[in-house]
Amino acid sequence: MVMTGIGKQFPGVRALQDVQFQVLAGEVHGLVGENGAGKSTLMRILGGIHQRDAGEIRLRGRPVEIRSPIHARTLGISIIHQELNLVPALSVAENIFLGRAPRRSGGLVDWREMYVRAGRLLADLGVPIDPRRRVSQLTVAEQQLVEIAKTLSVDAELVIMDEPTAALTLEETERLFRFIRDLQGRGVGVVYITHRLEEVFKITDRVTVLRDGQYVGTYPTAELTLDELIRLMVGRRLVEKFPKEAMPPGLPILEIRRLAVRGVFDDISFALRRGEILGIAGLIGSGKTEVAYAIFGAMPLDAGEITLDGRPVLIRSPAEAIAHGIGLVTEDRKRLGLVLQMSVRGNITLPIVKQLGPGLFIRRGEEHALVDRAIRELDMAVASPEQLIRTLSGGTQQKVVVAKWLQTRARVLLMAEPTRGIDVGAKVEMYRLMVELARRGVGIVMISSEMPEILGMSDRIIVMHEGRITAEFPRAEATQEKIMASAAGRVQSAV
Amino acid sequence: MQSNRTASEAATRRVQVVGVRDVLRRFGIAIAFLLLVVVLSTLSESFLTVSNILNIARQVSINAVIAAGMTFVILTGGIDLSVGSVLAYSGAIMAGLLSTGKPVVLSIIAGLALGAILGLVNGIVITKGKVQPFIATLGMLTIARGATLVYTDGRPITGLPDAFVWLGAGEVLRVPVPVIIMTLVFTASYLILTQTVLGRYVYAIGGNEEAARLSGVNVTFYKSLVYAISGLTSAISAVILTARLNSAQPTAGVAFELDAIAAVVLGGTTLAGGEGSIGGTLLGAFIIGVINNGLNLLNVNPFYQQVVKGLVILLAVLLDRRLR
Amino acid sequence: MRRVAPGLVALVVLSVLPLYAGALPTVGLSISTLNNPFFVDLRDGGQAAAKRLNVNLVVLDAQNDSAREASQIEDLIQRKVAVIAINPTDSDAIVPTIRKINAARIPVITVDRGANGGDVLAHIASDNVAGGMMAADYVGKRLNGKGNVVMLEGIAGTSAARDRGKGFREGLKKYPGITLVAVQTADFDRAKGLAVMENILQAQKKVDAVFAQNDEMALGAVQAVDAAKRQKEMFVVGFDAIADAVAAVKAGKMAATIAQQPTVMGRLAVEAAVKVINKQSVPKFTPVPLRLVTKETAK
Repeated sequence: MVMTGIGKQFPGVRALQDVQFQVLAGEVHGLVGENGAGKSTLMRILGGIHQRDAGEIRLRGRPVEIRSPIHARTLGISIIHQELNLVPALSVAENIFLGRAPRRSGGLVDWREMYVRAGRLLADLGVPIDPRRRVSQLTVAEQQLVEIAKTLSVDAELVIMDEPTAALTLEETERLFRFIRDLQGRGVGVVYITHRLEEVFKITDRVTVLRDGQYVGTYPTAELTLDELIRLMVGRRLVEKFPKEAMPPGLPILEIRRLAVRGVFDDISFALRRGEILGIAGLIGSGKTEVAYAIFGAMPLDAGEITLDGRPVLIRSPAEAIAHGIGLVTEDRKRLGLVLQMSVRGNITLPIVKQLGPGLFIRRGEEHALVDRAIRELDMAVASPEQLIRTLSGGTQQKVVVAKWLQTRARVLLMAEPTRGIDVGAKVEMYRLMVELARRGVGIVMISSEMPEILGMSDRIIVMHEGRITAEFPRAEATQEKIMASAAGRVQSAV
Repeated sequence: MQSNRTASEAATRRVQVVGVRDVLRRFGIAIAFLLLVVVLSTLSESFLTVSNILNIARQVSINAVIAAGMTFVILTGGIDLSVGSVLAYSGAIMAGLLSTGKPVVLSIIAGLALGAILGLVNGIVITKGKVQPFIATLGMLTIARGATLVYTDGRPITGLPDAFVWLGAGEVLRVPVPVIIMTLVFTASYLILTQTVLGRYVYAIGGNEEAARLSGVNVTFYKSLVYAISGLTSAISAVILTARLNSAQPTAGVAFELDAIAAVVLGGTTLAGGEGSIGGTLLGAFIIGVINNGLNLLNVNPFYQQVVKGLVILLAVLLDRRLR
Repeated sequence: MRRVAPGLVALVVLSVLPLYAGALPTVGLSISTLNNPFFVDLRDGGQAAAKRLNVNLVVLDAQNDSAREASQIEDLIQRKVAVIAINPTDSDAIVPTIRKINAARIPVITVDRGANGGDVLAHIASDNVAGGMMAADYVGKRLNGKGNVVMLEGIAGTSAARDRGKGFREGLKKYPGITLVAVQTADFDRAKGLAVMENILQAQKKVDAVFAQNDEMALGAVQAVDAAKRQKEMFVVGFDAIADAVAAVKAGKMAATIAQQPTVMGRLAVEAAVKVINKQSVPKFTPVPLRLVTKETAK
């Protein structure tokens, strides 16, 4: 399989530009890059979900046009998605054979045959799951394994795995690796996408690096070291990218003591000072984002105490959090952060519009003045305050989200994945904005899956693993390796 | 630099295109309406007369007032199927009070309050009970209809005072009172949706309920309020209908929810919520009214009328979507 | 054992109950809808007759829903009632249900609306065609055989609308000087009768008489005519003689209405059922007399 000169443009973002990618039969090929580097987009093109704008794809030497996910499957390409694509209400076996259940003559589903075959597949994988169980009753890890079994049940020539181990335990991961080697032995090509770089070295033969939608290079894994790989991924911009300034530590503003939400996180305590940027790192499922939602009143707490300026506060809803001067930049701005059908103006003033309209009508003049100032201050690329949010680029959308919390004069800003899915230039602007806010005394909790951002922007870093804090580092002592290790569960003595 | 400039030019162009589209989007349904008016006035000389226009406005007022409240509900991404039954029930209660000699103002207030309360119950079941709006209001549709039948024993309530009947049959400077009521309801709805916090929240909740909640909007409260508004407009419509018929019919308002929803959607409000306008709803209601009127004026065979009505509605929507 | 006792008592009571109820013969009366005063009167007539003749009458309201009607009648079959009288919601949809009743060997009587199949012992209804002709005669005579007439039709496709329309048109043939200037449907509904008449008044500059195929539409039309202040120009004739319409006739707002006599219809239905129970013969069709109600004849 060979892809050359692949390009893809999304509104506002150039996702891919002139990317090369080649997988040999029987090869495990790693695909790495930062978030937003274009890995998922590239794989979606290969899986028929997106159509490329430029370039060529060849399978076994012949050029192909991958028109749809079904078409990709008939071409022998199988994708295990990051997000699970299972139907919760159906049984494990039904999910595995969804749309291609074994049939008896007459077109009826041959249930016996289906359960037998599903059972055999799961046994091959070494997974003790009853094929008759409903998917909704399985744990996330078990679901992940079912997803893998589903993919392997088609006789694929090329299997793409997008972060397959994100929810797996070490043991389950080992089992998966054995299986990948087995596939390799049968001559199947495997594309392995991961953030866990140590896995790249464990399982892949070659690795391709993408950065900001561009092709960096393809290397035999054995010839690389971890540091070299990180440098390739991040590029030289690491230093210049982060305009972080050292700030004299201010007074504590937000204190969290023994916060817990059953089944999500437990015993979370930290303090945030004025002007401080506190980074929270952790893998998917570590509970780091949920901590922010819980502080913001969007998720009911089971235990714990929140203190603002030394006074204990009770926050039962986002409205109360906002009244206390807390703001939340959600990790998914389109789904949670913005009203896409509304204008820039409507979104920016949404949290404070009530204060603008204590009488019968909203005071329009005042609203326009506030919005105009926010647009100027944040240097937003908008044609007018009335422009609809959905027509803006990701970076500008993100500025609108931040602008909302400037209106409420938030003293504490919880930012989950503040630069997800935005261009590099926009990222730098967002970092500058964070620094500026910190300079004004705002305390920022930055929750991020992007290692460079955590390292480059935080005054202090907390690492979470499976709902608990496993380590805390001051900026000067933090390294990628230490954070990785803590995120994987190794507890380090707190400083 | 070169590439930068082209990029920014492209951006400006895109903005302009959006502008033209916005205009068409806003006026698409108006164009459909004008086409319909032109066609009908060439076919029937009675169509474009002052008396017929006032006649249409009077007939439209019942559906339009319901559709005004329905617009609020649909803008939040919900639906209210109970409007026809709520109309019947509040109309019956009003007529019942009036026929036993209670003062007109008091009877009307009681009827309007009942409508608002039934709507509020819808809202609370939906927000607190986490029941789908479709099902919750379907339940209310059945309950309120049943309550109407119990209250009226299946018979019309008649014997209403002239002061009340005036609300349906009267005129002020040649303008029918129902048209005045409709104008007031739409002016108020327009101001609420464009100028007030409630209106802003309605759009925000419909556009993205979760984002609205995370921006501090009390979603439960405002969603419940929106259903109360829909109940209130149904009851206002009940005043008009009851006064016009000089009686409360136990079967009043059957299937009115469909015409109201059709008016809202014809007016460009999406059923998914977050987008639409009250002005569009008024146009939508008028399109439906004009079709009914035109078919009667032209004495079209009743068997063909339903076909024609359906076709015109579909064509209007298609034209609207095409222009967008 | 002791804990079983209450259950046992309940069981015994439950098994005796039907025996007790069985002391009186039971007649099932399935009505298309009680959402309409006409059928409420029909029910009242039936109930009065049942009381007088000492039978147990079970009245079911199908709420104009054929499916509900079918399951309600199935319940009647389960209860093994002596006779089932049906006022069907739809003449075709009722056929399978009637076949089921036939299979259970329970006699079937239809009321007002007929059935297009199955074995029906007796049909009790007014003659809608005759009623339409009665209306045409009244209009023709009152206009002295000359003028413009509007007809408001019922729900398109229903037999009542068809038959009344047919009778009216036929009856008008005797009066060649009368033109039917507009025929529009208003679905047997008062609000629609009002709106449709308003529209017709916009188009028709001279109307002498209006015939509405039921009183609800007629009363709506009266509202429209009054609002247009054209009550001197034309008169309105309805059909069914519901209480409101009779009152309007008395008040001179409506000229006439054709009285179907739902109370009589309900009575005749129950009487026929009792005859069947007593193994007496009943005619295949019992016409319920119609009556022209005018200011002079209104009771």
